[in-house]
Amino acid sequence: MIKITNLEKVYRTEEVETIALNKLSLEVKQGEFVAVMGPSGCGKSTLLNILGLLDDADTGSFVFNGIEVVNFNERKRADLRKHNIGFVFQSFNLIDELTVFENVELPLIYTGVKASERKKKVDEVLNKVQIMHRRNHYPQQLSGGQQQRVAVARAVVNDPKLILADEPTGNLDSSNGNEVMQMLTELNEQGTTIVMVTHSEHDARYSHRIIRMLDGQTVLQNIMV
Amino acid sequence: MIRNYLTMAFRNLKRHRAFAFINISGLAVGIASCIVLFLVVKYELGYDRFLPGNEKIFHVVTRQVYPDRVHYQPGVPVPALAALRNDFPEITTGTLHNQSGRQVTVLGRDPNAKSDQKFIEDSGIMFADPQFFQVFPFPWLQGSASMLSEPNVVALTEEAGDKYFGSWKQAVGQYIMIDNAVTLKVAGILQNIPANSDFPMGVVPSLVTSKNNPDLFGYNDDWGSMSSNFQVFMRLPENVSPASLDNRFAAFSKKYYRPGTQSVKSNYLQPLSEVHFDREIESFGDHSVSRSTLWTLSLIGVFIILMACINFVNMSTAQAVNRSREIGIRKVLGGKRSSLFGQMMGETGVMVFISLLLGLTIAALCLPYVKYVASIQESLSVFNTEVLLFALALAVLVTFLAGSYPALVVSGFKPLLALKNKFSSASVAGVSLRRVLVVTQFAISQALIIGTIVAVSQMGAIKQANIGFNKDAVMVLEAAGDSVVQSRQDAFKSALLGNPQVKGVSFSSDVPSSDNNWSNNFAFDHTEDQNFHLFMKYADEDYYKTFGIEFVAGHAYSKSDSITGWVVNETLLSKLGIKDPQSVIGKDLRTGATQWKPIVGVVKDFRTNSMRDNIPPLAIGTWKQVYSAAGIKISGDNFNATTAFVQDQWNKYFPEYANRTSFMDERIADFYKQEDQLALLYKIFAGIAIFISCLGLYGLVSFMAVQRTREVGIRKTLGATVPQIVYLFSREFTVLVVVAFAVAAPLAWYFMNRWLENFTYKITVGPGIFLLAILISMTIAWITVGYKSIRAALANPVKSLRNE
Repeated sequence: MIKITNLEKVYRTEEVETIALNKLSLEVKQGEFVAVMGPSGCGKSTLLNILGLLDDADTGSFVFNGIEVVNFNERKRADLRKHNIGFVFQSFNLIDELTVFENVELPLIYTGVKASERKKKVDEVLNKVQIMHRRNHYPQQLSGGQQQRVAVARAVVNDPKLILADEPTGNLDSSNGNEVMQMLTELNEQGTTIVMVTHSEHDARYSHRIIRMLDGQTVLQNIMV
Repeated sequence: MIRNYLTMAFRNLKRHRAFAFINISGLAVGIASCIVLFLVVKYELGYDRFLPGNEKIFHVVTRQVYPDRVHYQPGVPVPALAALRNDFPEITTGTLHNQSGRQVTVLGRDPNAKSDQKFIEDSGIMFADPQFFQVFPFPWLQGSASMLSEPNVVALTEEAGDKYFGSWKQAVGQYIMIDNAVTLKVAGILQNIPANSDFPMGVVPSLVTSKNNPDLFGYNDDWGSMSSNFQVFMRLPENVSPASLDNRFAAFSKKYYRPGTQSVKSNYLQPLSEVHFDREIESFGDHSVSRSTLWTLSLIGVFIILMACINFVNMSTAQAVNRSREIGIRKVLGGKRSSLFGQMMGETGVMVFISLLLGLTIAALCLPYVKYVASIQESLSVFNTEVLLFALALAVLVTFLAGSYPALVVSGFKPLLALKNKFSSASVAGVSLRRVLVVTQFAISQALIIGTIVAVSQMGAIKQANIGFNKDAVMVLEAAGDSVVQSRQDAFKSALLGNPQVKGVSFSSDVPSSDNNWSNNFAFDHTEDQNFHLFMKYADEDYYKTFGIEFVAGHAYSKSDSITGWVVNETLLSKLGIKDPQSVIGKDLRTGATQWKPIVGVVKDFRTNSMRDNIPPLAIGTWKQVYSAAGIKISGDNFNATTAFVQDQWNKYFPEYANRTSFMDERIADFYKQEDQLALLYKIFAGIAIFISCLGLYGLVSFMAVQRTREVGIRKTLGATVPQIVYLFSREFTVLVVVAFAVAAPLAWYFMNRWLENFTYKITVGPGIFLLAILISMTIAWITVGYKSIRAALANPVKSLRNE
């Protein structure tokens, strides 16, 4: 599903040049659950942003579902993104002015799904993450665990092929964290590919494979059994 | 999607109430101002446009070229009417002979009845011929224009009919009398003339009636005489353009006007569409307005709405930072730039729509007061299609102006940066743009402040100026100068002077300052006619004492019914090149074709008209036959009792005449009504402009205070004092106000000097005015910025740092 080859990304300021990704190559197969680990500044987040088409690489190739996307413009990226990729962030990134229902509905609006269909789908996914009773609440009225469940719901409502999770349990206590990990595992079992950046060895154990990064390169891959 | 945007828009409004309040109130006031100004300008531009085929109606005016000046006359000599009809047979030509100011007595069904129902009609009495109504198709409710071919008949408008007879439906067949002399039978009813017409007809007797009473109505069938009361109008056939008639008018003028000794007269066509806007050629209406005034008003409207939009742009771009995360999320979830742009525009649209509703309400509430600031007597309404369409178009324009730039900026955020909140208000949309916008706003309000100070000082100076005579506590009573009145003048005068509170009584053709311009060619000291006109007033020997006019040489003439000698003013002497006033005493003067009479006195110049005009060369003589005004100087003690006494005496001596009293100082104030209104308008709109720019400034400073909370906290922990923090905030705005002043001052100086050119007596626009203006705007800016910055400076640094 994902094949990147010799990907390079350098951040430059006037005096300092930071190499975030150094000729990185990586492949993720359909249905895989991959965890990316490494110390701060090793390039994990940059990798995730490039995979999510939020950032672009300087050189190298990125093939998504058999299509080279390195040279895609902003519009094509947005298009590809909204139909194929769901995001889960450490800080949830819910819109404070929208209710739970409306937050989850948002991706469907952008893909042009009809209102009646939207309602059905959102309710379905809210049920699945067991937050239906809070559908008319605003994010700030929910606990962190509940907010992250809403974020997961929002990430999957469009049935994406790929979910990118950036430290999804980073702001949660262990029991809420476990719940979220359980949800991701279930999604993966249903066929969704997941790439997750994490600092937590505990969370990484939910995945099939752990990629360890250092200084913009993969240094080790553990296959989980 | 749209529902989602609307939800978002309303929730954002609620969440950022303060910002929404500032934006909406600024826009609402701006929109309300624009709507009111639109109505006023539309009303003035609409003068006589309601007439079908108005673009084919023309006014025949007379140009008189003198060696030293050109004078435009709205009237033509009476015989010109027949000559025009003769020489332009294919063109319909009609006439109005204005006789407003006369008294109408309502007689009822019996033409010989005695009646106390008297009205002085200051406007609206206009003799007309049937052809006039072919040129001006005012609709008839009863009767028709053809009845105006008969003598002693009159048409009334519904309003006049209601006033005289209770209901216009009963008016036809009843009688009225003009000036106790001519009885007229009501033979037709005209639909009311709309208020925005320069032909405010109410009582329309047939022209042949004035022709049959030439002395009474000043119907002077002579090529040498001309009055602004006798005006001729033409309706050109479809295929004839006014330019194509130029040569024929030149030939016409050559054929009929014998070249005079001083002036060359010619006629030409003034389009009806110019009548209301030409301040040089007087119309029958109560006011004219220059197009430049209307332009100024429109420009003020544009400025005000622009300022409101600037607030919006400033606040929205400053605030955009707070929304960057939301924008980031939307983009990550697949929102395209175009759909985010649409969302932002939609939010602006919602705010503008709320402002529009508020603005319409404010405008509707303000409209009843418009008549105090503009010469509009008709009540205006916002609830008509044209205004609503204008308002809607304005709302769309404002949405576009105010919304598109912030929307463009916000929708262009890079999603990753936006998510991480990596924007500061400084990096969004450039601080420099915001500075330029604030400068623009302040430049506009300072220009208006300067304009206001200049206009108000000028009007104050005019009112304080020495006009050369005493206008205080002088009553003016007017009546037709007929023989009945004249026979009782002496008795009336003695009766008044019997009261010790009455200090002086004088009969004259005309009070010292008035709109009247009675001029003639003249000769001095048995030489040829001079190459300039002499202006004349006729007054009895007590005129000078009553009005406190001072002599520099000689004295007043003695009591007489006809001219025995002249009193002249200093301007005449200087025009004749005479230095010593004493030297002209005893020398002879002749006006027109009259006899030589000696100059007996020279008076100090006094204002014979408004301060807009120069003082003309003037001669005053006695001529009882033309006296129509009584000037009565009364003492300030027991003022009310004395005026009541004067009016009682009037009613006793002149029971046939309605009593029409005014005071000299009020009459003079009336000269400047338009300027006073303009000064008031400046005040109002300068106030609005200041209000809007303060709103914007307040918003920006509040925003800055929030953004810089941490900086202020750090500075305070490092030992900054409160004044230092306040200085930090006010420094930038002070600089901006000064820059704005540098832009506004020269512009305001230029435009206000041009406005002052309308006056011969004027103030100089000195540095004091500019100093005052910058002081005012600086104070306002400091007060606005001060409150917020002091609060920011007083905040506990520990708290603001912990928040981080």
